[in-house]
Amino acid sequence: MVSKPSKANPVIMTLDAFGQDVLSRRAALGGEINMPRNSGTRRTESKKALLKAIEDAGGKW
Amino acid sequence: MSAYRPQFEAALRLFARVSEAMKARGFDAPILVGGAAVELYSLSAISTGDFDICTGRQIEFEEELQKFGFVRPSGPGIATRGWIHPDLQLGFEVVSASLLDGMADRDRVRMLELVGDGTASIISLEDMIADRMGQYASGTAREMLQQAKTMFSLYPDADLDYMEQRIRYETAGEYGVETLKG
Repeated sequence: MVSKPSKANPVIMTLDAFGQDVLSRRAALGGEINMPRNSGTRRTESKKALLKAIEDAGGKW
Repeated sequence: MSAYRPQFEAALRLFARVSEAMKARGFDAPILVGGAAVELYSLSAISTGDFDICTGRQIEFEEELQKFGFVRPSGPGIATRGWIHPDLQLGFEVVSASLLDGMADRDRVRMLELVGDGTASIISLEDMIADRMGQYASGTAREMLQQAKTMFSLYPDADLDYMEQRIRYETAGEYGVETLKG
């Protein structure tokens, strides 16, 4: 289980360990979780332009 | 190799390298917020190609981005404050100078080590959920309630007192931790 961080005693986990922890948490919930994508209705014009530029560069997220 | 998709890990590694460069210049580490933080806490239950960043040193952060190969998109009709990395096909954008308008406790920021590249700072789970609830309460992003509920179910060991305080603030008192149950 992931410990709580604090400034006095910062907990620095590796990404690998953190990912394994989340994997365990997801497994405890049965694996699949309901996480809807952002609808995009709140995107700024700047954000829309950035996402288009990423797409134009070939990004498929 | 981590449990995350390779593109996401590559983006985190780049963020860690830029963060180390900022710290080497004597600045606070930038903090990852937004959808990429949700992807991290949910193990890519959603995927994102743009990283929202909080830093009080936007100019210096963007100087470092350029050193790592980021460019500002340009062209007819393109006006963005963001930066893209053409090879990795991902984007970074500074969205705020202070963490959730200064109301988030920076001591709770999660730090992750990307071995070989440095440390990345991530908004705390509690603040991430409060941010989602604030967007939900605004009435313009109804899907954020389910995002918040799902993250809440993944982290039953979260600091509920702090989360309650933060959700109440972000929703002007309308919602609390109880909203996330059931």
